[in-house]
Amino acid sequence: MSRKCKEHIRLTALNVFFVVLCFVTLIPILYALSVSLNGQNTLLSSDFSFIPKDFTLANYHRVLFGEDILTWLGNSVYLAVVTVALSLCVAIPAAYCFSRRRFPGRRPILKCLVLLNSFPAVLSMFAVYRLLRPMGLINHRAGLILIYTGTMAVFSLWNIKGYFDTVPVEIEEAARMDGASSLQVVTRIVLPLAKPSIVVTALMVLIYVWNEYIYATTFMTGEKNYTLAAGLYALQATEMSGSWPVFAAASITVSIPVLIIFFLCQKHMTSGLTAGGVKG
Amino acid sequence: MKRFLALFLALLMVFPLVACGKSGGSNSDPNTLVVWHDKEDAVIEALQTYLEKALPDVKVQFEKKTSLTDSLKLVGNDPSSAPDLFIFAHDKIGVFAEMGILTPITDLIPQGELANYLPMTLDAATYKGSLYQLPLYFETLLFMYNRRYMQDNEVPATTDDLLEYMKANTGRGRYGFVEQHSTAYYSAAWIHGFNGSIIDSDGTPFPDQKAVKDALAYHLNFVDLMPGETEYSTVNTLFLEGKADATIGGPWMVPSARDANVDLGIAPMPTVNATGEALAPYSGVQGIHVLTFAAQNKAESVQKLLRAMMDPEVGIALAQASGCAPANSVCYDDSRVCDDELVQAMRSTAEIAIPMPNIPEMDVMWTVVGNLLTDVNMSKANIDEAFDAALAQANSLIEAMH
Amino acid sequence: MKDKLRKGWLHSYLWSGPSLLLITLVVVFPIFYTLYISLTNMNVYHWFDFTIVGLENYIRALFVFDSGFLSALLVTVLWTVVNMVLQLIIAFVLASLLNVQKLRLRKLYKTLLMFPWAMPGYVSILLWKTGMFNTQFGLLNQWMEKLGMETMRWLSSDVSAFICCTVVNLWLALPFMIMIMDGAMQSIDKSYYESALLDGAGWLQRTRYITIPAIRPIIAPAVIITIFTTFKQFDVIYLLTQQAGAKTGAHVHTILTYAYENAFITNNYGYSSAISIIIFVLLIVFSARYQLQEEGTR
Repeated sequence: MSRKCKEHIRLTALNVFFVVLCFVTLIPILYALSVSLNGQNTLLSSDFSFIPKDFTLANYHRVLFGEDILTWLGNSVYLAVVTVALSLCVAIPAAYCFSRRRFPGRRPILKCLVLLNSFPAVLSMFAVYRLLRPMGLINHRAGLILIYTGTMAVFSLWNIKGYFDTVPVEIEEAARMDGASSLQVVTRIVLPLAKPSIVVTALMVLIYVWNEYIYATTFMTGEKNYTLAAGLYALQATEMSGSWPVFAAASITVSIPVLIIFFLCQKHMTSGLTAGGVKG
Repeated sequence: MKRFLALFLALLMVFPLVACGKSGGSNSDPNTLVVWHDKEDAVIEALQTYLEKALPDVKVQFEKKTSLTDSLKLVGNDPSSAPDLFIFAHDKIGVFAEMGILTPITDLIPQGELANYLPMTLDAATYKGSLYQLPLYFETLLFMYNRRYMQDNEVPATTDDLLEYMKANTGRGRYGFVEQHSTAYYSAAWIHGFNGSIIDSDGTPFPDQKAVKDALAYHLNFVDLMPGETEYSTVNTLFLEGKADATIGGPWMVPSARDANVDLGIAPMPTVNATGEALAPYSGVQGIHVLTFAAQNKAESVQKLLRAMMDPEVGIALAQASGCAPANSVCYDDSRVCDDELVQAMRSTAEIAIPMPNIPEMDVMWTVVGNLLTDVNMSKANIDEAFDAALAQANSLIEAMH
Repeated sequence: MKDKLRKGWLHSYLWSGPSLLLITLVVVFPIFYTLYISLTNMNVYHWFDFTIVGLENYIRALFVFDSGFLSALLVTVLWTVVNMVLQLIIAFVLASLLNVQKLRLRKLYKTLLMFPWAMPGYVSILLWKTGMFNTQFGLLNQWMEKLGMETMRWLSSDVSAFICCTVVNLWLALPFMIMIMDGAMQSIDKSYYESALLDGAGWLQRTRYITIPAIRPIIAPAVIITIFTTFKQFDVIYLLTQQAGAKTGAHVHTILTYAYENAFITNNYGYSSAISIIIFVLLIVFSARYQLQEEGTR
């Protein structure tokens, strides 16, 4: 009884800790939320409270129906879906090869992949332009998809490879003994086992695409082609005439889809490895 | 394994297909002109409405571009991705002209036809003797005050008056006067008031060093009575919330001041007691620029567009739509323009305002002067030492441009 | 036999081909292009008609590597170490706590803690700068006033600006790290813990002998990439303290903000490219020194 009681107290303490932590973490976002629900057009105010005094949903209404946010949302969703799909399609087989197979050039390539991260990409814009222009991909969503997939390719390959490395080879061998083909081994055994890292990688790519605005504003022209992040950036860049509550409302609106996806993905982030399934 | 490979090849083939989903611009049609801009919607709507009536046979597509200058640096000489013209402030003219992507306006329109333009706007758009922009309207900073706190007869005529007013009215969370004191664009007015300047037309930084130092030292008296925060939204909010009686701000502040029910007064800039000169702010001239390849390939429609833009009706429409001060002096004969208090105030400030330098070297001076001001105003560095450091940085950065 | 080996190699190359091709195009090509530009005189005056000038830009670039650069380098190293250490410890503790069994609301907590990651970075930084740190209106100073304390100019002095930037950086980076660690911890075979518990191992021992060795290979790629991004951090420091028109007076320079202010703003691409390449080489030397690449290639 006393042990149960002790555990109960410990669990309550933990819950309290997390509630406080979440609140503290979310203070800047609650700030934005309060501004977005406020009638006055200011990001700043000398007597701030988390509960808006002049409560209104007008800013959200303007975000959803006034600006082109729905068009931007469509663009962002399209880019995100295609980029995530493409990233996984190219990264998974590559990661599998680098994890399982041995071939000349494997180690040097892996070493180079690490070092590539150290390049400060501040000036890459010109090179990317030189790359996209001959392909006719300026002002083109496919151009952005190419850049996004390429930028995230190092991380995707490497992250998934790291996880593959921890999946015991014995399982695969056992499956092969039972007569499974290579394809079956990969799709039926390795992929389900590596699901957590694949979900994590997909999320990472998704969030990168969702939040990227530099390439999107540079290579896309016209408001109808903006992504959410680019559109938001434009709203903010014209601060002289901009409206803070609308900007805050838009920022929150942009984040919600990502959070929903994250919430839904969580159950897939648990490994398919079950206790006792493998003994390393 | 074979199937996997097949899947891959299929994917690789799909990619170009996705790429073909949308075609590029329709930039090759000589009667279609693409114009990039980064202006507010009201300005562009006014232009679009006017052009549809005045120029039915040329299709003008306005496209909003957020990072306009960076994009032009990439695509400036590439007809397939660049616009034909763009609307922007005059201060990047030197950079774009040196890059070789601009055609002088006078190649398309004889200089004589521009006689009605305010001289300040034409000066602003001239780089190395050539006019690279057809000015549309201009902006200058203005002395604004809140009539609820500062009466019309309290408006300072000189900077010493202003300082007295600030001393009497600053404290307990209120300020007599606020401005973005550590930003080059704003402090230039003070430097000009001491007959100094940030950079010479030939690229020499701080030609009159003593004037700059005097301005910094004198200005420090004011800075001490202003908040430590210097960015736009803080200054703006202080004024709009009625916590500051007066400010120096741009015309873009006026709509939000009206929304916030500020009883807004606009007054001439105070004069500096030491020199007798008024604080002379920078002016920015917004106008339309022609890219070289458009001038070569679509000369006729570009000329038509420029001529249409020269009509005083354009300036009047812009003044009505967004309170812009037209560059064409004929516009001011119209009662719709001259009755607008804000536009008139800018018109009279234009007499003393100094166009932002348009030489490429100015690009680095924004940072240099910003650093100098922050050192002196915020970190309370010794003015002489900070100035010497800034001068050295300016020289090395300008040298590094070549 | 040898043919079969060759065929296996070929398949490996083909399978990893698309990924490597993308990396070559989007990541490697810009490096070589920058290297090429660094050997030319591409600047405002020779924007499209630039010519090869050899090593001239590198010779001039050496002048930028003065004492200012050295102190920026030291700050960068300090910044990276402080941020990485705090990030790893906090993420590890939080991920462990999130993995406590019977924590029912785990999913909700995790989702809420991910919020900072779901917003575009510049939005978050802007919120922090104006909402939290602003001397006139920021929440921090409003609270200080209510508590009867002196208000602070948070971003104006070097030390406090460094701390503020670190807080914001951690705020931005922790969600990702927590997620990676949490994912890695969930992949650990629970039976290890059960047998460890039977052997009477305490929390510390379990952490040291089971958790850390088990998650190490999984989190290594993410950690190494984060080290590099922290080293190359620009947005947080620049937007908080140095943005044009909103400088705060603090002098916290990392090598990238230093290079930005002393080279990139000149529009001299040849020269700036040379500096980029030098920073690139410096970072490679650093990572070789600390054998970062060994970690990921085992």
